Amino acid sequence: MSAVLENEEILEGGSRENFTQMAGLDTGPVSVESYRSPELYEREREQVFGRAWLYIGRIEELPNPDSYFVKDIEVRKASVLVTRDKQGKISAFHNVCSHRGNLLALQPSGSQSRFTCAYHGWTYRNNGELIGVPDQGRFFDLDKKKLGLKSIATDIWEGFIFINFQPEPEVSLKEFLGSYGEVYAGVPLVNNHQTMVIEAKFNANWKLIADAFAEAYHVPKMHPATLAPGFAHPVKNKFARPLAGLTYGLHRSFSAYGDPEYVSPPDSHVERLACKIDTGSLLGADLSEEVLRLRAHPGVNPTKLPCWSADVTWIFPNFNIDYSPGGYWTHEFWPTSYNTTRWVLTIRMPIATTVRQRLQQEHYAARWGEVVLEDVTNCERIQKGLESGAINVMQLQDGEMLIRHSLHVLDKWMEADTVAEAMK
Amino acid sequence: MTAHQSLPKGFEDLQPFVDYWVRDTSDERWQQRSKASMEDIQCFYDAMLARAEDAIAYLDAFPLDRMPDDAACLFKLLLAIGQAAIAVEMHRQPRAHHSNFPHGINISQGPKFFGG
Ligand code: FES
Ligand SMILES: [Fe+2]
Repeated sequence: MSAVLENEEILEGGSRENFTQMAGLDTGPVSVESYRSPELYEREREQVFGRAWLYIGRIEELPNPDSYFVKDIEVRKASVLVTRDKQGKISAFHNVCSHRGNLLALQPSGSQSRFTCAYHGWTYRNNGELIGVPDQGRFFDLDKKKLGLKSIATDIWEGFIFINFQPEPEVSLKEFLGSYGEVYAGVPLVNNHQTMVIEAKFNANWKLIADAFAEAYHVPKMHPATLAPGFAHPVKNKFARPLAGLTYGLHRSFSAYGDPEYVSPPDSHVERLACKIDTGSLLGADLSEEVLRLRAHPGVNPTKLPCWSADVTWIFPNFNIDYSPGGYWTHEFWPTSYNTTRWVLTIRMPIATTVRQRLQQEHYAARWGEVVLEDVTNCERIQKGLESGAINVMQLQDGEMLIRHSLHVLDKWMEADTVAEAMK
Repeated sequence: MTAHQSLPKGFEDLQPFVDYWVRDTSDERWQQRSKASMEDIQCFYDAMLARAEDAIAYLDAFPLDRMPDDAACLFKLLLAIGQAAIAVEMHRQPRAHHSNFPHGINISQGPKFFGG
């Protein structure tokens, strides 16, 4: 189901499509209980994070045979080891020794074909096989073949590695992604040359920060200096209304407005100095020749309006891939408890070739850091507001449709006994 | 830390800012700006902005990954104006309005060449 605005004028007049109802969602107030309830969080851990496909990393994080990385997934209390073996196959395992449960790989990433446990020296190949047990003769009926690392289901879509904690996932990644996976297949992921990473740990439910990236309604008020000048317009779109709001089964997207005529204000000397090179957009660090290929993809900016800044796409439950003329970035919103979150923002950009371009990237990094700070600080305030019990429901306008859809899908997963049922 | 660094000839006027603003990573530059007073930020901003085009022209002579020490020092100082600009040109105060400092946010990986 889909809804897109057909021309830019609609934004000026203030009339609009009704994205919410076109997505088949109702329009009433929505419960805030799952943002503050430890009990519901425990249920989310099992029903949602225990069953959904979860993004764990990009294939570029495993550049060579024998590359590996380790990531903690707090919501599952898991340490996950992701490896690429000699044949190039990518696999994920619980990073836990079969002998007495010690954590195996102790570095966050590296390159090695085998891992030796620091406790008694059991050794595993990077395909999970147990290949060495010191003083093996003193064990009783030890079957090494059955004592490999415990594997975690793994699959890859467009270079994004996903894992699933169900021993036998009820649905494949392809089924899970559904029409989202088809619409966004083949998007040229421009400038996959280097990554900039911003990490935040803060005191708010994970959904609050996901919600903050699911709407632009807050941009003029919350980000008046860092974002609003480029992503709203004092006359044409002062509330930063979206161009489109779409759902794809479990997943969803919105197209954010961008002022195509934005130029740095005359007294923003550094912004002007740094942006003398062509970067495609204000919130971007890429070069515009690569932007044309991105813009040509039918899934990207479905309205094809020029007043477009980015498509925010939210893969259920906690992952965003955001496509923009400035390249793409991803958000991982990881719960660490019912009211704490670890958020990882990864931004792709080319490696600078000139001093001015590097300065532009520094300015870009600084702007992003400040946006993150504004959102995080705000989420911590909301958490306090919600935990006070003062309100039990929230009011959502049409531009906040993605939040409504997220909670609707989450509800189904919380209730359903099987994934098939949850996906109906 | 980057004590006792000197700038290339011709940029001596910026030397008073080196101790505070020359930092090795984007994250440290963010920290420095966040805890500075608006007065100090403005003072650095004005001085560095006046020499920014000269600095870019001077630094363009060197490869980004193999700068002599004095050029690298100037480069890092120039990068710090990217942070100072957030305060001067956007917030008109050292940090975002209503924001916490310190906070649990880091640029854990900055852009290549003195980004960390
Ligand atoms: S726990 Fe790993 S070798 Fe003993
Ligand atoms: Fe925001």
